[in-house]
Order: sequence, then C-alpha cells, then structure tokens
Amino acid sequence: MKPFPQVQIYDNGVNEERHSLSDLSSNNETTTVGEMHTNDMCRKSLELEAKFDEGNIQEAESSLREGLSLNYEEARALLGRLEYQKGNVEAALRVFEGIDLHAAIQRLQPTHLQKVSSRKNRSNGDLLDSVSQHAASLVLEAIYLKSLSLQKLGKITEAAQECKSVLDAIEKIFQYRIPEFMVDNKLQEIVSKAVELLPELWKQAGQYQEAMSSYRRALLSQWNLEINCCTRIQKRFVVCLLYSGVEAGPPSLAFQVDGSFVPKNNLEEAILLLMVLLKKCCNDKAEWDPSLMENFTFALSICGQSSMLARQVEELLPGIYPRCDRWNNLALCYSGAGNNKAALNLLRKSLNKNEKPNDILSLLIASKICSENFLLAGEGVEYATRAILNALGAYAHLKGVGLRFLGICLGRQAKIASSDQERTFLQTEALRALDEAITFESQNPDLLFELSFEYAEHHNMNAALQYAKKFIDATGGSVLNGWRLLALILSAQQRYLESEVVTDAALDETAKWEQGSLLRIKAKLKAAQSLPMDSVETYRFLLALIQAQRKCFGSFRNHSQIEGDNASEFEVWHGLANLYASLSHWRDTAICLEKARIFKPYSAPVLHTEGTMYEARGEIEEALGAYSNALSMDLGHVPCKVSVGALLWKRGSKSSCIARGFLSDALKREPTNRSAWYYLGMVHKEDGRLSDAAECFQAASMLDESEPIESFDSIV
Amino acid sequence: MSEVASQDVGKAQNAIRSLHELFPNSSAKGLLESENPFRDLLHNTELGCDISNHLRQPTSGVGSDNVCRWLYDTFQSTDSELQMVVLRFIPVLLGVYLCGAISRKPLPGFEAVILAIYAHETKERGEEAMIVNVASMDNPSVYHEVTGKTKNNSNKAAVLGVVSPEMEPCGTVRATKRARICGVTLELYYSKISQMPISSKVEFCKLCIQWSGESGFDEELVMDVNKTGTEPAASNLEKGGRIPLPWELFQPAVRIVGHCLLGQFESVELRRKALEATKCLYARAVHDVQPQAILAARSLLRLHKFNRI
Repeated sequence: MKPFPQVQIYDNGVNEERHSLSDLSSNNETTTVGEMHTNDMCRKSLELEAKFDEGNIQEAESSLREGLSLNYEEARALLGRLEYQKGNVEAALRVFEGIDLHAAIQRLQPTHLQKVSSRKNRSNGDLLDSVSQHAASLVLEAIYLKSLSLQKLGKITEAAQECKSVLDAIEKIFQYRIPEFMVDNKLQEIVSKAVELLPELWKQAGQYQEAMSSYRRALLSQWNLEINCCTRIQKRFVVCLLYSGVEAGPPSLAFQVDGSFVPKNNLEEAILLLMVLLKKCCNDKAEWDPSLMENFTFALSICGQSSMLARQVEELLPGIYPRCDRWNNLALCYSGAGNNKAALNLLRKSLNKNEKPNDILSLLIASKICSENFLLAGEGVEYATRAILNALGAYAHLKGVGLRFLGICLGRQAKIASSDQERTFLQTEALRALDEAITFESQNPDLLFELSFEYAEHHNMNAALQYAKKFIDATGGSVLNGWRLLALILSAQQRYLESEVVTDAALDETAKWEQGSLLRIKAKLKAAQSLPMDSVETYRFLLALIQAQRKCFGSFRNHSQIEGDNASEFEVWHGLANLYASLSHWRDTAICLEKARIFKPYSAPVLHTEGTMYEARGEIEEALGAYSNALSMDLGHVPCKVSVGALLWKRGSKSSCIARGFLSDALKREPTNRSAWYYLGMVHKEDGRLSDAAECFQAASMLDESEPIESFDSIV
Repeated sequence: MSEVASQDVGKAQNAIRSLHELFPNSSAKGLLESENPFRDLLHNTELGCDISNHLRQPTSGVGSDNVCRWLYDTFQSTDSELQMVVLRFIPVLLGVYLCGAISRKPLPGFEAVILAIYAHETKERGEEAMIVNVASMDNPSVYHEVTGKTKNNSNKAAVLGVVSPEMEPCGTVRATKRARICGVTLELYYSKISQMPISSKVEFCKLCIQWSGESGFDEELVMDVNKTGTEPAASNLEKGGRIPLPWELFQPAVRIVGHCLLGQFESVELRRKALEATKCLYARAVHDVQPQAILAARSLLRLHKFNRI
C-alpha cells in the first residue's frame, strides 16, 4: 500500500475551509447555504468512505485530492481512521490531533439547525437527517479512535479525556437524548463503544471517582444501548463498586426520579444492580453468568442479609446449579440467617444416600445445627461420624472439626439419655471425642470451652475448672460465656468468693450492655453467701440496666432483642421472688411473682416459687395446685416434680407410692438433682427399704458439693 | 498557597519533624523540603519500614512508647491526610497488638492509638449503625422501571442489611469489646484503602494468614484431592498467632482481602498474598463452621477463579 501524502493535504487550503466554516456558523443569515454546503460535503465523504470500505485506497486518495474543498475535519477523520486501521497508531494520532471537535460539534448542534428544522416542520427529535448524522459519526469516530490510539500509547488520562469529549459532543448534539430508530447504525455503534470505553479508561488511569461517574453516566443517561452492552457495563460497574475500595457517593440529583429507589452507598448500588442483572438472566434477557451470583453472595453476606440471598437462590431457574449444590447453598444461607430448621431440612435432602451423602462441608454444618438442640443430637452424632470418616486427603485437616461436633452432640444426647448406663457411656464418649479433637486443633480455644463444659456436666469440676481457665487465657477473656462458665464452675465447688472475684473481673472486661447475665450470677452468688441485702442491691442494679437498655435503644432494637430484654427482666423478678421466699418475706415474694408474670404469664418456675410459698405457709392444697399447674405447663419441670414428691412424702405413707413415682421421674430427667435423691431416700426409708434408702442418701451426699448456682445449660 | 493549605502543610511538617527526632538516621528530614509532604510521608518506603520494625519489637506498645505517641498525635491532628499516614500502619499495629493483648500483656501505647481511631469513627457515624437498604425489585429504582400493577405493593417492609452495628463510646479496651474496636479500625482502614500503599495491603494479607491459623484451603484444590492427597502444610499451625475471629473482625478483614484480590492491581505480590489470605480465611470459616463467613470467603475464591479463566 502506498503511504498517504498527508502533509500536502492538510496544509493546502483546508485551513481556509475551516475559516469559511466558522464564518458560516457564526452567521445565521447564511444558514441555508451552510447546510447545503455541509450536505454536499457529507455526500462526498460518503462516497469516499464507500471506497475505503471496499479497500480501494488509491481511489479514495484521488477522491480526497479532488475534493480538497471537503470539510477539514472529515478529511482528517477519514485519513486518521485509515492510518489507525493500518496499525500506525502514532501517525493516526498526528492526523487526529488537528481535528477541531468543537467546531464540528457546533456545526452539528441543534441550535444551529433550529431554523431549518422549524421551517421544515420537524420535531426536535429528528433534527439530524441521515446525512448530517453520518458526518457526525465520522468526526466522532475519529475522536473515539484518537482515544484508542492514546490508550495504546499509554497516555491513559488523555485517552479518557478524548473519549469523554465524544460523549459530551453527543449529548450536545442530541440534547441529552438519542432518538430511538432515528439514529444511523454507525453512529449508534460509536456511541456505544465510547460509552463502554470511558469508565475502563478512567479505571486504567487509576481515577476511580471518574470511572464511577462515567459508569453512572453510561447507565443512567439515554444512550440507547443494546441490552448486551448495557449488561456488560453493569457487571463491570458492580465489580468496581464492590472491590475498588473507592466510595462512589450517591448519584447526582439529575438522575433521581421521584419515588424511585436511589442507592446511597457502594454496597446498596452493587446489590441493586446485581438484582437487576439477575432478573434479566431469569427473564432470559441476558446470558447466565455465574460471577453474578458470587458477587451477590459476597455483597449480601457482608451486610448479614443471607436470608435475602436465600430468597434469590430460590428464585433462580432450575438447571443453573446442580440440585445438590443449590440445596447446600440454600442451607448455608438459611443457617447464616439463623433459620436452622430450614437449613437442616435442605441438608437432609442433599445428604441423602442417593445424593451427596459424603459432602464434608454439608456434614459439618448439619452436625453443628444438630449440636444446638438436644432432640437432634442423635442425628448430629451420625453426621459428625460421617464427616470424620470422610476427612481424608486434603480434607484431613477437618477431622478435628468433625470430632468437636461429635463430642458436643454426644454430650447433648447424654442429657436426654433414658438410662444411667447410656448417659455415662455417652458422656465418656463425648469427652473422648473432644480429647481427640484437641490433638488435631490444639490452637482452637472453642475446644477448651467444650471440654470444660462437658466435664462440668460430668461433675468433674476440677477438670472443668482447668479447661475453663485455659479457655480464658487462650481468648484473652474476650468471650463472655467463658467467664460465665468459670464463675458457675467455681460456684458449683462452693467457692463463692472466688466465683465473685471472677464475676467482678468479667464485669471489668465487658461493656455495659453485656453485663446482664454476669450481674444475675453475682446476685445469686450474694444470695448463696447469705448476703440478701447485697443480692437485692445487685438485682436492683441489673433491673436499672435492663430498663436503660430498653429505653436507650428503643426503636432500634429488633424483635429478638426486645424478647431478650423481657426475658432478663423476668429473670430478675423471679430471682428476687426466690430470694424473698428464702427469707420468708412472703408479701415481697408475692409482689415479685406478680411482676414476673407480666413478662411470662405461663411460667412453670414462677408457679413453682408460688407453690413453695404456699407450702411454707402451710397452705398445702394451694401448693399442690400451683405445682400441678406448673407441671401441666411444663411436663418435665424437675423442681416441681421434686416438690410434689416431697410434699406427698410429708403427707404420710398412703401417698408414698406416688411420691416415689414423681421423684424417680425427676431423677430420670435430672440424675444430679440432690434433693430428689434425698427425698427418694426418705421415701424408701419410710417404706422400710433401708439399703435402697442408704444408696439414695449416699448419692445425695456426693452430689451435695457440685451444684452450680445456675444451671450450666443457661450458658449455651 | 492559601492560608488553610499552608496550615495543613505546617501540620505535616510538624509531624515529620517529630518523626525525625524519633528516627534521626532516617530519610524523614528530606521530607521537610517536599512539596507534597502528605504523599511522601504516606508512601515513603524507608520510613514505613522503620516504623513497622519499631512496632514489631517486643518492647513496643507500652505507655511510654514514643512511636505510638507519634501515631496518636498524628491521628489526633484531625487532618484527614495525616490520619491516612497513621492508618497505613494499622495492619502492623493490630497484628502485634491482638497477639499481645490475648496473652494479657498491657499495651496502653497501642490501645491509645486504636481508641483514638475508634472514638473518631464513633463521632463520625454519630454512634449509628451502617445500614444497607436492599432494594426491592417491585419498586422502581434509578436502574430499573416497574411495569404493571406491582407498583402498588410498595408498602413491603424494607430489607435492611447491617454492615456495621451501632457504636458505643469506649474509654478503655474491654476484652469482650476488643474485636469490635479493632474491627472498627479496620473498617476505617477499608474506607481509605484505595489510598493505602501496596506494602500496607500486603502486610494486612499476611496478617490474615497468621490470624486464621490455617493453611490455605480451596474447593478447587479439593477437587484433585483424590489424585494428590496432599496434607496441608503445618507451617501456619506451628507459627502461632491464631486469634478468635468473630464476625466483627472477620467481616472487615474479608472485605479488605477482597479488594486486594479482585481490585485489579499491578502488584503480583499483592495478588499472590491476597489469594493465600482468602484461602486461609475460607479454611478458618470452615473450621469455625460459620455460614456467613464461608459464603463470603468462598465467593471471593470462586470469583478469582472465574477471572483467571
């Protein structure tokens, strides 16, 4: 190919042409002439372009030479494009440099053509006929190519500025709205390309703020983009919003329409766009792209909205993910949102023997969910066992996790074991699993906690104490439950003073709003040390805290927090009632019980305290009534069973059979209940079964020393 | 130069001067002549190393630690650009602090800096939570229109996500609040992350690897397990430095690492470290069986994989 004789063309007479053009545009009188002139040139340029397209460069060259009167910008645009297409980026750039975009725009602007259009009775939208549109596209393409050339030469910021000027020009020419169906394909193509290129250039230049606003400009202005182009831009914008680390700020007011949702920050905007994109995919308007779902997952899990994520996963069309993956993903979402029941149901499906029964992650999640519920613990044991069996190869490091949940599940299962033998077996197995787990995860403090808890449940308070201390050390005292466990273990050893020291240390390490459970322990410790006034004082303080909390957070608190407040206030009144009952202050007891009833109208523990009050006052029938009411609310309420048993025993030998039934039942549920053993011993003794009685008393005396002031279960 | 600008430069020069006193052999003095002292202070590698090395010494972080004092004073200058210089050292500082604090080492020097940052954020946010409004597709937004009659059902309760819960002022670092306070400093670090030097981000990625106490773990790796059956290297497990990673710490960490992994940087080292950190965080999430953490870290790993293809 012969190189272009560029210089000659540029510097002969073309400048004059520009002068004459600018004269024209400044002179309204000659508008008609101007327009005709422009049209004429455009037609020529069209012919010329046709020749270019055919690859007939020599002909094009001669046409150009002939038509030296041809518009200066257009001539340069054509030549530049040719150089660009040949790969001579620098040469192309030199050609493009000379183009005065401003002049070109002025010529194409509607203000300039206004008169013509009004005379021809056209509406504003179709101002540019196809010929002048073509001229516009020629010049704009030149600037677009100039931008690309600059990008190739590494002058990114300049490239971005050029690209931006293309968009500015289009907005000026079309007055912010590109008419649909009225635009020549070529022009639309350049518009789309420039719109898409601009934010990428800014990003490349490291100017993220500019990139963000050009993304918004691309998506919120009317460029008449085709759907795939729009989708591409939206996807890139999402990535930019989520990972660039630059806050885009809210979109400008110009883009905001009344009543429509306007995102306020990057995450909101990314989530909105992702939802729009996912909807497009669901409606088959865009191709499915797995990265959409991953970005959406990231964004929603960051803001703790995995329930929303679950909803979206549910809405996905079938076939996008294999069903097992879908169930497992959903299970993760539901479990993250605290809906463990739904999560477990899904996991049961995916862990079915016909699906993916050995998927270790699902097995672990399932066993964790089961470990939180006594009734599911047995099922959890099975999942955990399977997880351990499958912890091979690259999964080997998960064996410790499996063992941990096996231990926890076995421990929970022991709580509802039907026989002593089974219980002992389960507890021993639980401890063995946890001990083995710690050989795999020596650094994991959670295991120390579980071991301590399990030993405490096993009434091995010395071992429990050691692990609780280790746990506090390993976590630097940052876990509230660790402190509570340590205090309760010490209280079970009747080391109330030390327990109080621990509680005070814990209070120092916790913020105000988390102190409730510690204050309750402290109040009970004071009561246990026969310091009722101190105990009342602590309860009063706790009550003030709860009420302040309720007031302080008021509307901000969600449902479960409000429930939590009510539960704690209930605990306070019930604790106080017990305290006054132990002091035989019956009027105060009754008042506190009434208060407690406000928060929990149907509560077995409240009725039990009421029963003890009647009993102490010698109102035996009322007492029995209260106890049996309590039992009808909670069949398994052990203190009531013990109280009924004791009461019946006191009544004499006629009811001893029934008394024995209640007490044995209580022991079945809570084998470590000291008074149950004691009263059962008394029943045996009264009935003359002395060796049975002796065994019971022995059990009672052994248990004497190991009752915590609050059940260990209150921690988990 | 306007009066305000010269005042700011004056602040920067003061900071540089006192830094020069702390590190007399460093290049700090040269910065006094600089036209843009903020930028140079933030990006000066040599000074960055000096300060980081000092912070890593076993004796640092005590009440009389002058470098901590300098960080504290510089942050309290309330000049946002100078504050950035302090934030640059957050990864090193938190790394040393959290490990020490767990073993109950008193570190008032570090705590002063962290509390200053926390107090600043508490004030900035007016103690309020950072909330995300999850849009509903039933209502129109700037990016989509709603056709048909669904428009009328606009009374649905808004779905709100919480990026960071409400804050309460803290005068001291209580153990149970430590993770939250450190998490908030990371949130501030994240909000300025685009201006942080690469070295600081690399430092943070290393920190996540250490905190996780795990070797990297990836689904993809697992796919070829049956062939290779490699045991994960125990290097991280022996090194120590594993700390409890509740969500309040995990969440800002995974956001920062996400930025380092997917933010399209030139630095190969950063991307490599970010990938390793993500794998470690994922492994840790699986070990703790925390669904939300698993979801977040796993999607980063998957996105990285898509990018590579």
